[in-house]
Amino acid sequence: MTSVIFTVSSALGVAEWTVREPRAGELTLEAEAAALPALADRVVLGLDGRLMSLFASDERLATGRFVVHHIWSLPRQQTFLHVAATIDPAASSYPSIAAKYPAANWFERETMDFFGLIPEGHPNLARVALHDDWPDGAWALRKDFPDDRVVPRVAGAFHPFRPVTGEGVFQVPVGPVHAGVIEPGHFRFGVAGEPILYLQLRLFYVHKGTEKRFEQRPWRHGIFLAESISGDTSVGHALAYAHAIERLANVEVPSRARALRVIVLELERMYNHTADIGGIATDVAFTVAASRAQALREGLVRLQDELFGTRLMRGAIALGGLKRDLLPQGCDALRRHLDGFEKEFDDLITLIIDSGSFTDRVDGTGILTQQAARDLGIVGMAARASGVDTDFRRDHPHDAYAGLRFDVPVEAGGDVRARLMVRAREVEQSLSILRQVLDALPARSDALLAAPLPQQLPARASALGWVEAWRGPCTHWVATDERGEIARVKITDPSFLNWPGIIQAAPGNVIPDFPVINKSFNFSYSGNDR
Amino acid sequence: MLRIIAKSLKKGIFTEAHPFGTQPSFGFPVIDFSRCVACDECARSCPTGAIQTTAPGPGRKTVTVSYAACIQCRECVSGCPEQAVGVSHDVEVAAYTRQQLARTASFDVDRATGRGVFVEVDAHTGRSLHESAEHLRQRIRGRLGRSLHVRQVDAGSCNACELEIAATTNPLYDLERFGIHLVASPRHADVLLVTGPVTRNMEIALRRTYDAAPAPRIVVAVGACGCGGGMFGEATYAAVGGVDRVLPVDVYIPGCPPRPQAILNGLLVAMGIREARVGSIAAPQ
Repeated sequence: MTSVIFTVSSALGVAEWTVREPRAGELTLEAEAAALPALADRVVLGLDGRLMSLFASDERLATGRFVVHHIWSLPRQQTFLHVAATIDPAASSYPSIAAKYPAANWFERETMDFFGLIPEGHPNLARVALHDDWPDGAWALRKDFPDDRVVPRVAGAFHPFRPVTGEGVFQVPVGPVHAGVIEPGHFRFGVAGEPILYLQLRLFYVHKGTEKRFEQRPWRHGIFLAESISGDTSVGHALAYAHAIERLANVEVPSRARALRVIVLELERMYNHTADIGGIATDVAFTVAASRAQALREGLVRLQDELFGTRLMRGAIALGGLKRDLLPQGCDALRRHLDGFEKEFDDLITLIIDSGSFTDRVDGTGILTQQAARDLGIVGMAARASGVDTDFRRDHPHDAYAGLRFDVPVEAGGDVRARLMVRAREVEQSLSILRQVLDALPARSDALLAAPLPQQLPARASALGWVEAWRGPCTHWVATDERGEIARVKITDPSFLNWPGIIQAAPGNVIPDFPVINKSFNFSYSGNDR
Repeated sequence: MLRIIAKSLKKGIFTEAHPFGTQPSFGFPVIDFSRCVACDECARSCPTGAIQTTAPGPGRKTVTVSYAACIQCRECVSGCPEQAVGVSHDVEVAAYTRQQLARTASFDVDRATGRGVFVEVDAHTGRSLHESAEHLRQRIRGRLGRSLHVRQVDAGSCNACELEIAATTNPLYDLERFGIHLVASPRHADVLLVTGPVTRNMEIALRRTYDAAPAPRIVVAVGACGCGGGMFGEATYAAVGGVDRVLPVDVYIPGCPPRPQAILNGLLVAMGIREARVGSIAAPQ
């Protein structure tokens, strides 16, 4: 592995000894804050790095400093690069990289909202996470901010939406309470008649203080909080948290549990993709297909209930492995279900694609170009539908994925149809993955479904956990304090990276197409807002 | 088009005649207080504080179980050294007040061993389920008829409750056959179906949605977060907590997330068609 360190350190132009590899697949580099922009350039230009997360931690108690962290994915090296820079609280600022790398835009503003650290040179230093009625100086993720502080509401200036001018041009405000059974967020459309000129978002309505909450809870309970970050990604986030804790504790997950984790993660991918294909059909009023998809989805969810005891597979993942084993009859039930599902799913896709009135609504609708997807740092399924070939399961293999054969479907179109087709093809891949896992499932051994965890986590340590969930990569960075309890958890849901994509995809389309565009991405508001 | 219709006819009817009565492997925990020694292990293992212990005086202890904030994680079941925590298989759990979702038992503490000796399950205070049912019937009498228009409000949920609410509309559960219809505006709504923990950033929107709904507006709180804050707690900087901290709640549907049958049941309770049941919570009663 020295060669990876050599490649990375020479590309970054830093001494080889400064790049360390505390754990497989994760490099760290401590840097001066002033060097962050130059390092970002070298990571992107020299190593094809993609920004996966950017955040701060308050380490004033231990070292008197704040720390700003850049997490990069280096797919060619199959490793993450974690660049950490200390910041003097007296200055409380660090150089921004958002002007060049828009993926950093919301991250840096969020860090300003929760830590009061200013990204110098940021092109738009407006709040992103805190609403207008939050007072200045309520930096909730600082350590001296108590979890239960009552934050008074202040008058504040209303969110600065871009004004509209011109004849026949007007604004359409939508939300936060929407018409369907969906999560809250505010959309502001600038329209000329029907076509959308531009779209602005205001999110964080469901900000629940999740990251702060992790710091208040015992680390063993963190898994339940992780399951509630985004309900449709319970498995994805629980796994990302479990990975981080297991890496911190230096625990090896038993091979059977690693294989079974693939099963739960792929089932989660399948039921969500199926539901969303139905949702897309609903939004273009193709009710026959929508009903079929909902029935298929319900079938999967009931199977999950039968196999793991809960419909959304909550409580399936344990720290160290899995809570509940898949018994031989469960394996058989799963196989049988997959066979039936495959045929039905195939029928569903044919039904949809053969329908001219359906394809008429989705072809060329809501295009996110490859260029925009690359520039914005879009991830996961949405990126793959815009021709960006990225998938943690292949680029940063976790659990049992390294030993599995699967394709990463990529579509060039970037429109609703492309996102639909990527999902359909991913479901096919999931079926193949599930069968491979079932064919080569390591033998049952009751003692080895979950590796025992130590009573305490190592003190003052940190680790990264990552998962390619159905929507895209979920990453958790977990750091412990001097007692080995949680000092900081940074959760990055793919939605946080992908929401800006819809700002690019919506203009030029008519408002009635917005629901189907939104559904084709299906961002998590809760995962974004936390 | 004809092919689609022919295929649909061939598929037949998906909708289940009897959506109720299924028994999942796990519903809620049930504490057998006669075996319980008030050792605090379940309270320590509970991630939401749904089980709590107190020491009201020397030699005295209480154990309280509440389904309001229970996320059904089963930690208390595996964590109990006395095997006193069992499971119920009830799905259709609902209540009219938070108190109805909780039971408290008192214990004398044996000085020599430190173990609690069960004394009694405390008498329930406040309205009984039946009294509450009557009260709700009085309030909605004749106004809702046999149909219900529901506006769902996500006031902070993680979206798991939304997934299960959406599932009630799928062809298998088909909530519309019960005369229940999800509507797009609070102005059309008889019921607000609220999930959450209500966040600071949704509190105002939730109040305005409530104000926009015509009386008698029934509020149904859904999920561990909506009923009692769940994993996110109550009165934090970002989350107000359970829906009843912001609005008067008429029906509570606990669970994390509640199953579609539980949500259907809760809506039928809100219509006055069914009476809420909580199940055993504690044994012996």
